[in-house]
Amino acid sequence: MNLTLNINGTDHSVEFSDGELLLDVLRRLGLTSVREGCGVGACGSCTVLIDGHSVSSCLTLASRCENTEIQTSEGLGSSDLVVRAFIDAGALQCGYCIPGFVMMTTELLAENHHPDKQAISDHLEGNICRCGTYPEIMNAVLAAISERDK
Amino acid sequence: MSNEAPAIEIEDSAAVGQSWKRTNAESKVMGTFRYTADLPVPKCLYLGVHRASQPHARIVHIDYEGALAVPGVIKVVTGADLHNVLGEEMMTGPAFSDQPPLAWQRVRYLGEPVAVVIATDLATARAAADEIFVEYEGLTPVLDIDAAVNGQVFVHSELRPSVIFQDLKHLSGRKETNVNYEYHLLLGDTDTGLQKAATTVTGEFWTPPTSHVAIELFNASAWIEDDRLELVSTTQTPSYVRQTIASMLHIRLNQVRVRTSALGGSFGSKMYDRLEPLVAAIAWTQKLPVRLELTREESFVLTTRHGVAVSSQMSADAEGNIVSASADVRYDTGAYADVGPRIAAKSGMVACGPYRIENARITSRCIYTNKPSAGPFRGFGVPQVTWSHESLIDELARNLEQDPAAFRRRNLLREGDMSPMGTVMHSADFVGCLDAVTDAVGWDEPMQRKAGNWRWGRGVAVGLKAVLTPTVSNAVLQLNQDSSATLLISTVEMGQGSDTIMAQIAADILYLSPGQIRVVSPDTDVTPYDTITAGSRSTYHSGNAVKKASENMRDRLVDMAAAQMRVSVSDCKLTSRGILSSSTQRIISIEELMLSQFGATGTTMTTEANFTTEWTPYDKESGQSSKVTEHWFAGAAAAEVAVDIRTGRIHIRHLAVAGDVGRAINPTLVRQQLAGGAIMGMGHALFDEIVFDEGQMINGTLLDYQLPSIKDLPDRLTPIIIENPHRNGPFGAKGVGETGIIPIAPAIANAVRDAIGVRITTLPLTPERVLNALAEQGK
Repeated sequence: MNLTLNINGTDHSVEFSDGELLLDVLRRLGLTSVREGCGVGACGSCTVLIDGHSVSSCLTLASRCENTEIQTSEGLGSSDLVVRAFIDAGALQCGYCIPGFVMMTTELLAENHHPDKQAISDHLEGNICRCGTYPEIMNAVLAAISERDK
Repeated sequence: MSNEAPAIEIEDSAAVGQSWKRTNAESKVMGTFRYTADLPVPKCLYLGVHRASQPHARIVHIDYEGALAVPGVIKVVTGADLHNVLGEEMMTGPAFSDQPPLAWQRVRYLGEPVAVVIATDLATARAAADEIFVEYEGLTPVLDIDAAVNGQVFVHSELRPSVIFQDLKHLSGRKETNVNYEYHLLLGDTDTGLQKAATTVTGEFWTPPTSHVAIELFNASAWIEDDRLELVSTTQTPSYVRQTIASMLHIRLNQVRVRTSALGGSFGSKMYDRLEPLVAAIAWTQKLPVRLELTREESFVLTTRHGVAVSSQMSADAEGNIVSASADVRYDTGAYADVGPRIAAKSGMVACGPYRIENARITSRCIYTNKPSAGPFRGFGVPQVTWSHESLIDELARNLEQDPAAFRRRNLLREGDMSPMGTVMHSADFVGCLDAVTDAVGWDEPMQRKAGNWRWGRGVAVGLKAVLTPTVSNAVLQLNQDSSATLLISTVEMGQGSDTIMAQIAADILYLSPGQIRVVSPDTDVTPYDTITAGSRSTYHSGNAVKKASENMRDRLVDMAAAQMRVSVSDCKLTSRGILSSSTQRIISIEELMLSQFGATGTTMTTEANFTTEWTPYDKESGQSSKVTEHWFAGAAAAEVAVDIRTGRIHIRHLAVAGDVGRAINPTLVRQQLAGGAIMGMGHALFDEIVFDEGQMINGTLLDYQLPSIKDLPDRLTPIIIENPHRNGPFGAKGVGETGIIPIAPAIANAVRDAIGVRITTLPLTPERVLNALAEQGK
């Protein structure tokens, strides 16, 4: 089967098999930021935004994503506010889970203009950083908020 | 007017001690960085693994007709098929050659690979693996360590030491035992010590098996290229894997190429034999390009942290001196020994803690059971014995009505002291670490003890670990004519920051800037041998090799410049602007020097260096050695907690962790390692645990297995760097990857003890355990 997916602002016509997950389709298209860590929607490393809302792409059928706008961290660009905040705060160790946190933060900043620490940790709770970079991630999110408000 | 040239202003080199940004930070944050699964490989067939459904059984028959009938399936391979071609050489392992890539004749844990399906795509391979049916003759499983030691069922018919650890040779052929290694430490006479005792405490301690859960899942691809085997794999031990595969396939080392990218975390999981023997054996025997990607559920049964039981005792005299200590340590290593025997020895030996003790006795055993194989996990078995000694010493202090921090301070080993293992202490400032963490949490300040249902308390713990010795590191440095450099090492970047700090070490010697040094990812065709990237050894060992290779390069540049400028070598030195002749005040840049030397742009010069450590093997009866390790890791943690006596919940108000790192090459990265280790240790203290039921792992998915999230962060987390330079460390530095995790669980448990008056000896400290302990106390 064939379907058209709008990813990071560009339409892609993709072959896919029935029941194929969005995670697998995105990886097949070379989007390396989307990663399977658990396969059950419990670690957050496959997080993408669909029409601005975060989803676990390991639980999302690709066929359900036609006529939506799919966003991955590759699409943000290196000058993006959140991307810069994570880099500047040193908010990574191995880096594997970080694009998931970046997408969650992007969603949070769009939804909640002045989240406090409690709201930030509530929002990021479903993402696991096994290296334990949480203090720097918190700093990055706070820095992104204050940078945006400048 | 003087003919003398004006003095040239030179900046000092200052790469070491600076917090350089992590290598590849931008691509890692954006998600464009290529981890191992993203590296280009030839088009591969996929493997689906059929796994044992019993913990201990004889394989009677494997029926795979159903799998072969699935469209897209090429072939099915069993352990017997591999054994027919590879023979006994298919058995691998760092300590014992005990593990087949696919079970042969017998399965020894539930989840063990029994057969693989080779198919055109991953989904087909996995689905077809479920169409294999195995007839078993059930054997009695050995499910716990005491049954393993005392029973008459044996996981392996005999012990088969590998050629890798030469000191295990004497165990070859030993039969009718599940104990594959036994370490003894004997110092003074514990009975004589007991005669001086004013108080004695004993305990039965248990730390459960846990899972590493690096978020990057295991994957490996292998294929034949001419007469060679190429392997791309998530491994932190590429040099080891090359040797294992070459031995298994009876081919030369240069016929095996092992590559890995930076890893998406490991914590000890991606070490030694993981997917590589299986994938290499299939690719080589079937002459097919194959790829294996594990699910999270499969990763859970691939390797675990050792569950450890410790029966221990500690005594002190009335003044507060420790007079006797003993520990009986049992490491549950599961069905395959992996590096368990090393863990039992090198971690068991610190089971009495970093204290001045005259009389000590330790027995530490590594024990086979019918469970998934346990291997190295951040801390290498030390956190489990620290759980015992740091709980006991807290009780000793309380019995003597002494402050637990002051009691430790009185007994801690100092610089120049003889450790209970017979090796002199150097660059291990336990007292400095202890002082730093107690200061951070305001140890001596008054504390509110009670608020509603909450009870508050403070606890402290210290930890000691020896670095793996002897080991080998090499570095090759290529300096390019434009004064950029390419560094070839087999150290694997996995979040610890090795690519960044190795570049800083070379930059410091050669006056280079961030971005001027590229560190090549491990590739056994080009990067030189390195024992392993593990055990916090890279900063010291690879760091020393990199430093020596850089110094060799500096010396070569000075020689060349002296010859070109016709001055003596001693007149020249490398500076930030090039090689300076002091007498002539002439300066020649690296670019000019290499251009005139070789007559071309784009040329290269290469230097190399080796760094090898040595040890004195410990005495088999007493465990004593004048040099049991190259150096020590010293750390401490202090916790302030609140315990809800109604629900049993523990809330951490402040966690401070300190490590003596010798010298911090990159302070930001060091603090991240300390804090990251502390957060992982907090998980082990409060909830992290693998649960088995009759050999079946029952919580091996991320829906069931709890890990620390951002909401589990303590209210305050304070990582503290202590620097007591090591005389042989590169710039005085030592590693720090494990220091932060070691003292965390007992520090938290000691704070809980302080808050609610109960001593819990089984981890994790779940609300149920806390409530049960409170109920027990109320009786």
